[in-house]
Amino acid sequence: MAALGYIEILDGKGGVSERIAVDHFPLTLGRAYGNQVILSDPFVCPLHLKIAQDEQGRLLASDTGSVNGSYPAGVKERVTQWELHSGNQFRIGHTVLRYVSVDHPLAPTVVDRAVKVSPLASPYAAVISAVVVVLLLCLDAYLSSVERVTVAQIIGEPWVTVSMLGTWAGMWALASRLVVSRFNFARHVTIACIALLTISGLGVVAEWTEFFLPRIPMLWIAGVFGYGLVLAGMVYGHLGAASPLRRRSRLWSAAAVSLVVVGSSAISDFAARGKFSTIMEYSGVVKPIDAAWVPATSVDEFFGSAEKLKKELDGLAKKAKAGR
Amino acid sequence: MNRLLAACALVVIFSALAIVPASQAQPVPGTTPEIFKQFSEYVVKIEVVETGSAAKASTGTGFVADPGGRIVTNYHVISKLVHSPERYRIDVIDVAGGTTVATVLGVDVVYDLAVLRTARRPKGHLAFESKPVAQGTRLYSLGHPHDLGLSIVEGTHNGLLRHTLYPKVHFTGSLNPGMSGGPTLTQAGKVVGINVATEGNQISFLVPAERALALLERTAKGAAPAAASFLADVGRQIYDNQSRYLAGMFDAKTPRVVLSPYDLPTRPTEFFRCWADAMRRKELPYASVTHDCSTDDYIFVSSEQSSGIVRFFHQLLSTNELNPARFFTLYSGQFQGGNAAMFGNEEEVTPFRCQTRNVATAGGKLKAVLCARQYLKLPALYDAVFRAATLGSRNAGLVSTLSLSGVSFDNVQGLSRRYLENIKWQR
Repeated sequence: MAALGYIEILDGKGGVSERIAVDHFPLTLGRAYGNQVILSDPFVCPLHLKIAQDEQGRLLASDTGSVNGSYPAGVKERVTQWELHSGNQFRIGHTVLRYVSVDHPLAPTVVDRAVKVSPLASPYAAVISAVVVVLLLCLDAYLSSVERVTVAQIIGEPWVTVSMLGTWAGMWALASRLVVSRFNFARHVTIACIALLTISGLGVVAEWTEFFLPRIPMLWIAGVFGYGLVLAGMVYGHLGAASPLRRRSRLWSAAAVSLVVVGSSAISDFAARGKFSTIMEYSGVVKPIDAAWVPATSVDEFFGSAEKLKKELDGLAKKAKAGR
Repeated sequence: MNRLLAACALVVIFSALAIVPASQAQPVPGTTPEIFKQFSEYVVKIEVVETGSAAKASTGTGFVADPGGRIVTNYHVISKLVHSPERYRIDVIDVAGGTTVATVLGVDVVYDLAVLRTARRPKGHLAFESKPVAQGTRLYSLGHPHDLGLSIVEGTHNGLLRHTLYPKVHFTGSLNPGMSGGPTLTQAGKVVGINVATEGNQISFLVPAERALALLERTAKGAAPAAASFLADVGRQIYDNQSRYLAGMFDAKTPRVVLSPYDLPTRPTEFFRCWADAMRRKELPYASVTHDCSTDDYIFVSSEQSSGIVRFFHQLLSTNELNPARFFTLYSGQFQGGNAAMFGNEEEVTPFRCQTRNVATAGGKLKAVLCARQYLKLPALYDAVFRAATLGSRNAGLVSTLSLSGVSFDNVQGLSRRYLENIKWQR
């Protein structure tokens, strides 16, 4: 006989934990094994509730004089009899149940955007970005060496970084396997490579900016805030591939992680600045470019602004003397 | 013949041995034992004692320099008291072992001298040599080397050092720590100089006697100043001294050296010493030429701080092999690293603060950095490092550094400026 409807036993969050087909009325619910719906809830009576259909086809739920009573959704007092419509919830004992008829209207199907394949997930993207990273690391090794180097030395250089990158992506992939049952290794590799490329791009931009405008401590700004942003982006991306979290939660987690890292590095910078040292810290980036392109101050201006330096030192001296 | 020679040699040896007991019995006037016997009673040991533990913190030597019993020694022997008068006292111990407490009457930090006074009336004093002393004259230095007891050291007067800011007597003899502040005498017992420093291998230096006379004269009148005021006096002396010797340094008449294509200042006065070197090693794809000038004299301020050194250093880097990006990795590294590390601690100086700018001079553009720190105990004095790197060339560059210690901020600015303006491009 075809089912007329279903009694759904709900869990704490409103999800369905068990669904029992109803093929005839009347229907009894209770702890006893003679019921159609058997509930293993100690607060429910052996025969607790009866659902019957009247001549007009309406469904009536009647409490059979239970110890703890029956409660339709939203009602605080026990009710002995009420009319049950499809989709109505009610509680007996500690169990929340719902009745739905087979023709119960359904919400439209949700379009699943997560299933839309991200271009980052493609293994091609992973391979291409990894190759770019290796080339970039080789170039960096070449440019940062001031001695004669052989091709073998340069090619040998990037592999420590590459293996660290692989380990990082691998650990995220393992986490993904545990949480969303898929490794998504290619996607994690791509994300890590993009982060690394962004950081080196940021470094280059910061160096040139600081060379042209030494007044702006661009390397420091990039070091703290730029890397903070990259880190946030990376966490956001990795979480997307490693967890079922929605976009908003991922954004929050990424922001939190990066804020903690940026904050602690800013605090340690600040603490180091207060500490005594005999080291001169200054921005000293020089770049090979025609002097005509370099904005420069006059000698007067340079030594004029040294007054500011003197004021700063006076302040430091005053503070040091007060501290004694 | 051989036998005859052997016999002669034996006679010489015996006669030499025969002289020794005779001289021990009766010192011949003007010989070392005689000088020691006659003048050692005017030489005293000086101990700076930490009053809390009553243990000595440093020792040195001094001598009675006038009928009033004033004692001359080195500033560096008693500098601890100048810096922390509340923590130390000075004990003066005479040759018989009698101890009296001394007060400081005055210091000359530039020449490293101090004058002390004790309550005890002396039996006599040493006199200063007023006539010039010829090079090669035998001299006798007295002092307490390593606290081992009063000793006498023979040596030779080798004239005044020529290329120093502060004249010093070059004494060829072995001075050792602990002898500082002791007198060096002629055969007649006249003080030629005050033991102050050694460079080992019998190369030692004396403060000329006239500096001690000048300080004695300056402190002749009046009571001992409050101990706390000496530090301010030390600061003032260093300040006045630097205003004097830095005036006009790196002006338009400064001699030039060419490290092509740059035309640079060198040896601004004769108390600088300059050294040059070039490194063109086959295994390196670049060449480095250096030119380094420095004053020799430093002023002892405390055991943790010295002052008064001016040093500058040109380094020309060039390459035919490295591409511009790689060459500038090297060039940036030289500009940022290799800092002439300066000593110092939190008690004496503030940390450094720096400013960096791209600066356009008459000759061309440079990246310039000025770093400075302030002295805490001696106000108005600074240490500074000025460094500039020429810009514009793709395969050559000059990093030039000037470091100054214990100078006024006016001199930090003025000297760095004149130095920068002296960095020129060959036309």
